[in-house]
Amino acid sequence: MNINIDNSNGVTTANLEGRLDTPASTEVAPCFEQLKEAAGGTVVLDCSKLSYISSSGLRLFLALRKETSVKGGKVIVRNISDNIRQVFMMTGFLNMFEIQ
Amino acid sequence: MYILDPHSEAIMDEYRKQRPVFRAAERAIVKRLRESLAETGILVAAVESRVKTEHSLAGKLELKGSKYKSLADITDILGIRLITFYLDDVDKVASALERLFDIDWENSVDKRRLHEVDSFGYQSLHYICRLKESRAEDEAEINMPYRFEIQMRTLLQHAWSNIYHDTGYKSGVEIPREYIRNLNRLAGMLELADEQFSRIRSELTDYRRRMQALVASGNLDDVPLDGDTFRSYLDLAPFQRLNQRIAAINQAEIQEVPLIPFLAVFKTIGCQTLGDVARIIKDYSEGAYQIACYQMGLTDLDIIASSVGPQDLCIALVLKNGGGRSGLRRLFDHLLGPSESNDMMAELLIEQSSSFPFMNQ
Repeated sequence: MNINIDNSNGVTTANLEGRLDTPASTEVAPCFEQLKEAAGGTVVLDCSKLSYISSSGLRLFLALRKETSVKGGKVIVRNISDNIRQVFMMTGFLNMFEIQ
Repeated sequence: MYILDPHSEAIMDEYRKQRPVFRAAERAIVKRLRESLAETGILVAAVESRVKTEHSLAGKLELKGSKYKSLADITDILGIRLITFYLDDVDKVASALERLFDIDWENSVDKRRLHEVDSFGYQSLHYICRLKESRAEDEAEINMPYRFEIQMRTLLQHAWSNIYHDTGYKSGVEIPREYIRNLNRLAGMLELADEQFSRIRSELTDYRRRMQALVASGNLDDVPLDGDTFRSYLDLAPFQRLNQRIAAINQAEIQEVPLIPFLAVFKTIGCQTLGDVARIIKDYSEGAYQIACYQMGLTDLDIIASSVGPQDLCIALVLKNGGGRSGLRRLFDHLLGPSESNDMMAELLIEQSSSFPFMNQ
């Protein structure tokens, strides 16, 4: 699981690549902590190369969303695959994020 | 350039020395006022403040310098203005000030009461204040031996006053009587508008209370479905039981999320009263649970949002009533915003629907 973080034009974009399962969630938690520092603005989670997400991964997304709510920013989830969209739908997470 | 007598010059000298005191007091008092208004829940449109400029004070002293023995006699060196949205909030703000400061009643004036029954014009409440002798610890560092003025008025009164001053008073030139008459007619109209705004707020508050009582008493068929009533209904956690049932499938934790977006969905579905929503919960909870069971049963997902219950209820209703793919697409468009991906989810649910027991009953 790889995350590349890019800051440009006031937008922080994290490009997620691989499977965000439970072990990977622990591994990338520091990256999400780093994203929280940008929670006052727009944080884009680009999931075009994300093939799987577990509950642990959803919790990372959720914690980031809570941080942006507190700091007045927002999270945009971009380019999710049909499989991940299904996971978002069955858990009700579709209503929680701006999905593009 | 002003020509001042020696007495007025002495006041000006004192003013120059004390100006930093007024400026520090301005910051501290405005901060305290904002905190106090927030604590009492009074929403104000604006808090304005200023320390009188040297130019303005000199003009005042040139006109009536002999009226003042010292700087302490001039009560508007520090002036603060609180602008409210509603007429009755002016009195609430005044009550808050009475608790915060000592009011010099002799020099305070309620200009709202100065008008005769047949006259209209400037309306504002002016308090001359002084910091209390025994004030809270966090205010103890405010050094402000002078009195200061706080004006309170509504946004409409403020607009009228500013325009009046701009057209007549500030220019120092007498303006023709017909313009004064027109301005005063406007003052009368704005007075009526202020009263109407307050009345509308009171009636809305009354409506909300009545609806809350009806919701609490369970007379849901008598409660029209709107933003206020739906919020009151959500306070009763109507989807909690369904969400808990869905969560139990995988022993999932439930993340509470705002459910107010479902108001538009229920209205689109045709609900007119809270009773209609309650019937959907009663009639389609089993279907919603079966959808969740089918989707989550083979996963290890152990986190759900509280929106899952109402979402699956709506899906069950659309499927059971033959809404098909287009009905589901419309549902997702309302709930998530229009997107081509909504088609994919609708298609997927149509495929799954033959496996939902409630669809075959």
